[in-house]
Amino acid sequence: MPRGVQEHKKLWRLSRWLGCPSGGYFSELRASQTGSYLGWIIMPVILLVVWQFAAVWLNQPWIFPPVTLVIDQLVHPLREHYASGSILSNTFISLLRVLLGFLLAALTGVSLGIAMGSIRFVRGGLEPIVEVLRPLCPIAWLPFAIAVFKRGTLPQLFGLGYTRTVFDQVQLGMVFVIFVGGFFPILTNTLDGVTGVRRNYLLLAQALGAKRRRVFWHVYLPASMPMILTGLRQGLGLCWFVIIAAEMLPGAESGIGYLLIYASDNAAMDIVIAAMLIVGSIGALLSLMMRRIMSGLVRWHGKEI
Amino acid sequence: MSHGGIDSSSKEKVMALEVYKVGKTFRSDTGTSVKALRDVNLLVRQGELVTLVGATGCGKTTLLNLIAGLDTPDEGYLRLGQDLRFGGNIAHVFQHYTLFPWRTAISNVSFGLQMRGVRRTERLCRAAALLAKVGLKGFENAYPHELSGGMRQRAAIAQALAIEPKLLLMDEPFGAVDDSTRTELQQMLTDLWQENQTTIIFVTHNIDEAIVLGSKVIVFSERPGKIACEFKIELPRPRDRMNNEFTKLFIQIRTMLSGQLD
Repeated sequence: MPRGVQEHKKLWRLSRWLGCPSGGYFSELRASQTGSYLGWIIMPVILLVVWQFAAVWLNQPWIFPPVTLVIDQLVHPLREHYASGSILSNTFISLLRVLLGFLLAALTGVSLGIAMGSIRFVRGGLEPIVEVLRPLCPIAWLPFAIAVFKRGTLPQLFGLGYTRTVFDQVQLGMVFVIFVGGFFPILTNTLDGVTGVRRNYLLLAQALGAKRRRVFWHVYLPASMPMILTGLRQGLGLCWFVIIAAEMLPGAESGIGYLLIYASDNAAMDIVIAAMLIVGSIGALLSLMMRRIMSGLVRWHGKEI
Repeated sequence: MSHGGIDSSSKEKVMALEVYKVGKTFRSDTGTSVKALRDVNLLVRQGELVTLVGATGCGKTTLLNLIAGLDTPDEGYLRLGQDLRFGGNIAHVFQHYTLFPWRTAISNVSFGLQMRGVRRTERLCRAAALLAKVGLKGFENAYPHELSGGMRQRAAIAQALAIEPKLLLMDEPFGAVDDSTRTELQQMLTDLWQENQTTIIFVTHNIDEAIVLGSKVIVFSERPGKIACEFKIELPRPRDRMNNEFTKLFIQIRTMLSGQLD
């Protein structure tokens, strides 16, 4: 096989794996290959070339840096930017905060959603509160969270004080705001999933001798799994949204959002754009990862009989 | 009547189900009430394959749900045979939503056993044997959406048989499959019934199906649902649809049902 064709195939497989929506299911191989080339290679290259020429022509890198400067930042992720640390360390800190907040949101959101969906008085008691708090932008919780948690960090919560590790950067206030961001979509999707379980499946389980508690594990939970996973995907996406905004506000001293605003204050627009690209890419990767997990876990979804 | 000792076949066969003067009325939210069943009397003996035939919406399914314990009658009573228990050895096969879409065929069939606390290896072994019996060998790990309509109903029957039911309730289970598949499924059900001698109550709106399967055919009249007639079918199995007596019966039931439509 000629090398060109091999490369072509590899690229095509990569783009398939990434799940890029090129061509319909029935479209020919050739058409989808062109589709993936167009979206993943040709358009970005055109954009980069136009950008580079425009930036060089403008010659004001503190406003509009050329591609080369941004790429230079991206390929040196360990470069220290004065007080704010490197791109890599800040990204890592942001991810750590998101991971913790998201796990907390997933745990409480899913269990509360299931409880509200299956126990009437729990739903009756909590729904009005949820409905009022849900439309509130999670960032609005930040002043309150900072007031409550002060500058407390995760190690301090466990009485470890200052540990000189990355965990010292995990402020409880931040984690709380991320938690709020992820909690509501996870809760509402889980609730919809549980209440949407078809009565027929409950009857079937009952006819086969399932008792109440087992119906819960073997019918409610699997039947609402697609909605739960949808909630988790939306929740994770929102967590990543929220952390960037939270880190950009005064009071933050690390994280990719902080690096972004710090670089902006120092007129380092190349770092700003590099950070933007990283935030976008990570968001896309997180969404993709969740979608992969979902299609692996619920093969039957959308194919109900 | 079994005390008289006249009818020898009914004497040796134990009663599986007695339905006595059962009535059921549904009330809608707007206040209108629909009488679904009135004065239904039915006696099913162990090992019988009783088919209930009637127009759609005549209350057959309502009666079946009452028997299954999914609903309770407003008038009269139902009595189950001594060894029958709801959620125990009474199985139900529906027309739709017969399988859990998130479980593979084998895992669907073993659901009832799992609920009874049978060990994993044993229940999978028994489920595999049942799948083979209904002609689904090799489809153990297929999800319901990967099976055809007929295969799904086969799996559903295996799922019901897995709990070793003493009474099998079937609600138009072959209503959604094409004719040739339907004939195959009827043959399979007959074979299974002859082998296990399970009591089966089979609801259908297809007269042909009712006669092919039933050792007793109960004809339902409409609104309110009432038993119009009972036929004991003693034609040899497998039943020949071209047989004179078969066609005579068919026409008789057909006239009875279309008479009500007027």
